[in-house]
Amino acid sequence: MAVALECRNLFFSHGKTPILKGISLSMKSGTFTAILGRNGSGKTTLLHCLNGIRKTASGTVHIKGINLRTLSRKQVARHISLVVQENPEVFPFTVLDVVVMGRAPFLGATQVPGPEDYELAMKALKTLDVAHLAPANFNRISGGERQMALLACALVQTSDIMLLDEPTNHLDFKNQYLLLNRIRQLCLQKNTAVVAAMHDPNMAMLFADEVILLKSGMVFGAGPVKAVMNKTNMDLLYETETTALPFDQNGQFFIPTDVLYGRKQKTLDTQTYIEHP
Amino acid sequence: MNQATPFHRKYTFPYRLVFMGLLVILFFISMLAGRYEVTVSDIWKILYAMGTDTTLSPDLASQKMVLLWIRLPRCLMAILVGMGLSVSGAVYQALFRNPLVSPDILGVSAGCTLGAALGIILPGESVSLVQLLSFVCGLLAVSMTLGIARLIAIRPVIVMILAGMVVLSFFNALLMILKYFSDPYDELPGIVFWIMGSLTRVTWINLATAGPVVLLGIFVIMMFRFRLNILSMGDTRASSLGMNPLLFRIILIILTAVMVSVMVATCGQISWIALIIPHMARTLVGPRHEEMLPVTALLGALFMLAADGAARSITTAELPVGIITALTGAPVFGFLLYKNRGSGWL
Repeated sequence: MAVALECRNLFFSHGKTPILKGISLSMKSGTFTAILGRNGSGKTTLLHCLNGIRKTASGTVHIKGINLRTLSRKQVARHISLVVQENPEVFPFTVLDVVVMGRAPFLGATQVPGPEDYELAMKALKTLDVAHLAPANFNRISGGERQMALLACALVQTSDIMLLDEPTNHLDFKNQYLLLNRIRQLCLQKNTAVVAAMHDPNMAMLFADEVILLKSGMVFGAGPVKAVMNKTNMDLLYETETTALPFDQNGQFFIPTDVLYGRKQKTLDTQTYIEHP
Repeated sequence: MNQATPFHRKYTFPYRLVFMGLLVILFFISMLAGRYEVTVSDIWKILYAMGTDTTLSPDLASQKMVLLWIRLPRCLMAILVGMGLSVSGAVYQALFRNPLVSPDILGVSAGCTLGAALGIILPGESVSLVQLLSFVCGLLAVSMTLGIARLIAIRPVIVMILAGMVVLSFFNALLMILKYFSDPYDELPGIVFWIMGSLTRVTWINLATAGPVVLLGIFVIMMFRFRLNILSMGDTRASSLGMNPLLFRIILIILTAVMVSVMVATCGQISWIALIIPHMARTLVGPRHEEMLPVTALLGALFMLAADGAARSITTAELPVGIITALTGAPVFGFLLYKNRGSGWL
């Protein structure tokens, strides 16, 4: 599959603190790539650099073979959409108003979205089966619905490359699976290069095709999920002893060993307690 | 401008038309309001005489003077200032993503007031000097705010607000010094009345200088109405949607600073309009700037015209219009807060 997004030797620092230290990666179309790493490992910064929102100190980003620096912000926005992590409430826009904002890179600076833009926005909402949300107040819908609305906004913008920053943040158990499943479908239907920063390695195991392991600003491992995600790598990435629990032929879940061990201990204790009150 | 959205807000009340109608009616009423009595038939006679180029009966000459040289520029200025201040308020609220912000926040008004006080204290009785100094100091205050914000870190919105506070406090301190050293019988009352804001001094010349600036500013802001929606969603989202939020913010701040300085320099500080009118408009037609900005402008004009009319006719001596706007604005704002409870942004 074609490489959609590629970066070479990215360096980025906040003041004097280096955040990214020489990242080289490539992300393919029609592929769900998950970025895993601990808090502060540089996942969000990497996404912002890939999008050109943050200017890198050195290194290059290529979008479908074109250097990011030669493109205007608007041109970049026509190929890359970003769903950000925090969405503070401001004015009570309707969901449709929020989704239609995804058309911004295709409109002139003084242009206002017309009926056809609203139709595209509605279409995106329908694709995600949330058309009923269109007239709702964006500030007053649930976290899961809000994430769907933002995904629709990204979809209206472009389905070439989608960067998602912890898309399942604040979502309940069912909504997490629902959303990632939807993203996965999109990725296959529209041949989208999905790049998602994720916290849960097990979610990545279930939904992603490829993973990138990021540790203190450096790529520590990258490649197909099942090849890269093994006990050794997980132990090193999260700096915790993990236990791999197989759940089908070639997939496995990772759980910190001391939690597993601790649970066993606790159960034993309780049993003892019941037997000898 | 009035795009039909596919299904929501299909049966909206035609606020724009109604407000425009009200504005015309209110304009005629306020042409009649004031100490000097002018009747409707006088207006017709004067208009007829002017239209047909016939001579006017001499007993209507003073009425004509009052109407053409005092009330007409004053009413037009009220409309202009009402529109300009409320539209700038709407822009600031979107830019700073905070519904409690008005253009004062970056120190424009404080700068204008200091400049005016300086002009009042300086020897000479020139009104235009006061206005010029006021305008210059207003712009100076905003440039200082932007400069300080630039020194710290210009990206976060909060830095700009804090820099505004620094400049605001500094200019207020300077104003206090001026007040302390001013002549308490002549200059001090001048400064105090100036701060209260009034349209008494408005002439055609003021209108000719402020008018184009404010109208052009409103026009440019209207052009970017959809971009304001996006800016109000935050910088990261705005830039991922292909905008340069910083550039837009600085352009709009400079634009509104010029507009507000011109207005405050001619009319003094008129409080509350910039804060409450955008809220009113948002309550009526929703937060989208495509619909909300025209309604904001019209409502602002209506409110200011009514406030100025009231200022002229409530008591025998004229009240400063700033008192009227503050007196009515505060309870209206309270009511709006109550009405918008639970909509998710308060």
